[in-house]
Amino acid sequence: MNNTVKKWEEMTWQEKREERFKRWLNPPDVKFVSAEAEKLYKERVTRIMKAIKLEEPDRVPVMLPTGNSPAYWGGANFRTLMYDYKKGHEIWKKYMEAFGDMDMFNGPGFIPSGKIAEAMPSKIQKLPGLGLPENAPMNQFVEGEYMKADEYDLLMLDPSDYNMRVMMPRTSDFFKAFEKLPPLRATYGNIWLAAMTDPDIRKIFQTLIDLSDEQIEWQMASMEINNYIRSQGYPSLFGGGPMAGAPFDHFADALRGTHGIVMDMYRQPEKLHEAMDHQLKLMIETSIKNFPMTPSPVCIMPLHKGDDTFMSDKQFEEFYWPTLRALCLAMIDEGLVPMPFAEGRYTNRLKQITDTPKSGVVWWFDQTDMKEAKRVIGDICCIVGNVPTSIVMKGTVQQVKDACRQLIEDCAPGGGYILGGGASADTAPMENLKAMMDAAKEYGVY
Amino acid sequence: MAEEWAEMTWEEKREERFQRWLSPGIKFDSPEAEKSYKERVTRFTKAIKLEKPDRVPVMIPVEYLPAVYAGTNLKKVMYDYDELKRVWFKFLHDFEMDSFLPPSLVFPGKVLEMLDYKLQKWPGYGLPDDAPSHQFIEGEYMPAEEYDALINDPADYLQRYFLPRSAGALKAFSKLAPLTPFVAIPVGYVAQFADPEIRKAYETLFDAGQEAMKWAMAVGEISQVALAAGYPNIWGGMSQAPYDMVGDFLRGTHGIMMDMFQRPDKLHEAMARLVPVAISDAVTSANASGCPIIFIPLHKGTGGFMSNKQYEEFYWPTFREVMMGLINEGLVPLPFAEGNYEPRLEIIKDLPRSSTIWFFEHMDMAKAKKILGGHTCIAGNVPVTMMVTGQPAEVKERCRKLIEICAPGSGYILTAGAWMDMGNADNLRAMMEAAKEYGVY
Repeated sequence: MNNTVKKWEEMTWQEKREERFKRWLNPPDVKFVSAEAEKLYKERVTRIMKAIKLEEPDRVPVMLPTGNSPAYWGGANFRTLMYDYKKGHEIWKKYMEAFGDMDMFNGPGFIPSGKIAEAMPSKIQKLPGLGLPENAPMNQFVEGEYMKADEYDLLMLDPSDYNMRVMMPRTSDFFKAFEKLPPLRATYGNIWLAAMTDPDIRKIFQTLIDLSDEQIEWQMASMEINNYIRSQGYPSLFGGGPMAGAPFDHFADALRGTHGIVMDMYRQPEKLHEAMDHQLKLMIETSIKNFPMTPSPVCIMPLHKGDDTFMSDKQFEEFYWPTLRALCLAMIDEGLVPMPFAEGRYTNRLKQITDTPKSGVVWWFDQTDMKEAKRVIGDICCIVGNVPTSIVMKGTVQQVKDACRQLIEDCAPGGGYILGGGASADTAPMENLKAMMDAAKEYGVY
Repeated sequence: MAEEWAEMTWEEKREERFQRWLSPGIKFDSPEAEKSYKERVTRFTKAIKLEKPDRVPVMIPVEYLPAVYAGTNLKKVMYDYDELKRVWFKFLHDFEMDSFLPPSLVFPGKVLEMLDYKLQKWPGYGLPDDAPSHQFIEGEYMPAEEYDALINDPADYLQRYFLPRSAGALKAFSKLAPLTPFVAIPVGYVAQFADPEIRKAYETLFDAGQEAMKWAMAVGEISQVALAAGYPNIWGGMSQAPYDMVGDFLRGTHGIMMDMFQRPDKLHEAMARLVPVAISDAVTSANASGCPIIFIPLHKGTGGFMSNKQYEEFYWPTFREVMMGLINEGLVPLPFAEGNYEPRLEIIKDLPRSSTIWFFEHMDMAKAKKILGGHTCIAGNVPVTMMVTGQPAEVKERCRKLIEICAPGSGYILTAGAWMDMGNADNLRAMMEAAKEYGVY
């Protein structure tokens, strides 16, 4: 950031984003296998960038809902890859060769190391073979009221302390002994010492240290395959990592649960607001300010409890959108591209999410009416979506192409559109994914 | 039970805590020991409540003296826990007292060395081998622009910013990831432990923890022996004034003084943030210890450091909130006004009657009695110079005068103006004699 002529803090958000785009377009750490691969890489990134900026690229870019379907195509599954970090490589490489042209592609995603997941089981997540059937294609979150209704103040008093001494022991037996930790905030340095005299607490840290070799092996494997994919000329969209969600979901998903948070909206709305404001501030200070230069500036933000059926327009306006919007604005201000992934349906919300800077946000929709989305926010935000997952997984090639054609007709005019699935299809047949690429090339040329 | 507690007045809560202090549920050495223990505790609780005890209680002004008294020094007992026990047991054996302080502030030297602890000098480590006390090293450990990080998430700030600066062995903690963004998916937390420097920091902590355990066992044993012999603990926990929390270790004297002028709002915000922290930590330790007296050493609000106007704007409001928070939990704040608090007497009266013990160092006790007498229990203040270099007769005479001035009507605890770390131990005996001779109600 220091080698630019204008100082970072003096740049407009567009200028900052331009710097990040440049880094995406010219990745210093990627060694392309050929001049052709490099050329394709740049064409692909440019296509996506133009769509983000609401400009017309050469054709509609495609974000294929590939998910982990290469694993199934190659005769493996989620669970085998949890334990065999290298097996994914061979399969993903073959899959790429067999598939050919794609605008973006990634290695296996969200598949944690099985050994580590076993060693530190979490009550919040089930995995294939660990709470789910061995052949399950996905992990499963287990919601609960892990944080009690009267603990908002305790959490706000000292969030990290709360997380470590209350939440971690409650959500994982592995961290049970953290209950015995003293508060971690005193300025006397002997606090940690006292903690380390407890054998149960020492055991936790010792296990973490022991497991870290395994974790590094897992990370290296993941990095290796992604480097390989990049070197072949396939960019990744999500360079910022899945780093942030809506502050409302922060409390609704893992802390209070759906039931708890709905009660809070009625019984202690001020407390909820106060906690969300605090969380927002924290997210901005610790995770967004001075965000490093990453392979891409796009940050995916999965959204959950704000969809059409979970709350009313009025509740969305009061509880959900203000802090989510503020978070997006903070990201934009750092030159990042927030990409909220509106799981469920957001058709009612469209009118409520128009107040962000033009081209600042990319909205990925699951079941939202895309024609309506184009009409209401098409001039403000790039939109992504939304071939139904059911069609991608179970439909015919023709059905997929028809769905894509309709979407392109509705959303592509004037730019600002990326063709995508409504969600990741974890066991999608390759020919249906290919049909999406074909449709973009056939119907999506500007 | 919890609801009953919430509905009780602070006096009722305090009475419960006093009862627990009075009956600690341990096995005393003898019925006499138990009887003496209860008499001693009652002496203090009556003085606090401004009721007349049998005689003026004495808070023995001793922290490190037992080492020198037993013919060794602080350095030796910081490194040798058997010696630590030996000298404190000897002290227990040789003196009569109303209260007892275990050596919980005689930090283990080996552990401090292992951590490369930077906030303190101690004998043999920055101070001469025969130094009778440690020395804190103030500094601007928190730069002014980090106020927000502290305000938003204190534990995170401590772990990732403050600890790495205050202990060389924990430098790598600055590379730890923040804890708050990831909730309950701990797998992502593992990778950082592969960093050799982070690993080394934890391994050093393990080893230091092992060592600290040996020390803690020794201190615990001393406390138990004292209790069983009938000597009550008088520090159930510690707390600080928010201004000092920021001024002592985070911003330093220079930094915080600049902040009063350059960023008063940030300073106010940070202090307000630390109020519930100061309260909850003291409540936790008092619950564990069973003694409701919360010792609060005061530093930067003394006369000479700031004007009354600044005191009323910056120091007193959040400090008072902390004390009110403690009082409302049934605890008894014991602020120790180091330096000269004479200019503050009128200001600090603004607390509920009989809720607090004010312990003064340099103070015209007649004036203090005049202003606070009948309202708040006061403690003090034989000059520590006299305790260290004076003669027993001199000390006894001084105690007599103090008793004459401060004892009438109750609400007085006899002690020195600060801890006596060296000098003639007979001066302590003289203080006790004076209380028995002149302080009977």
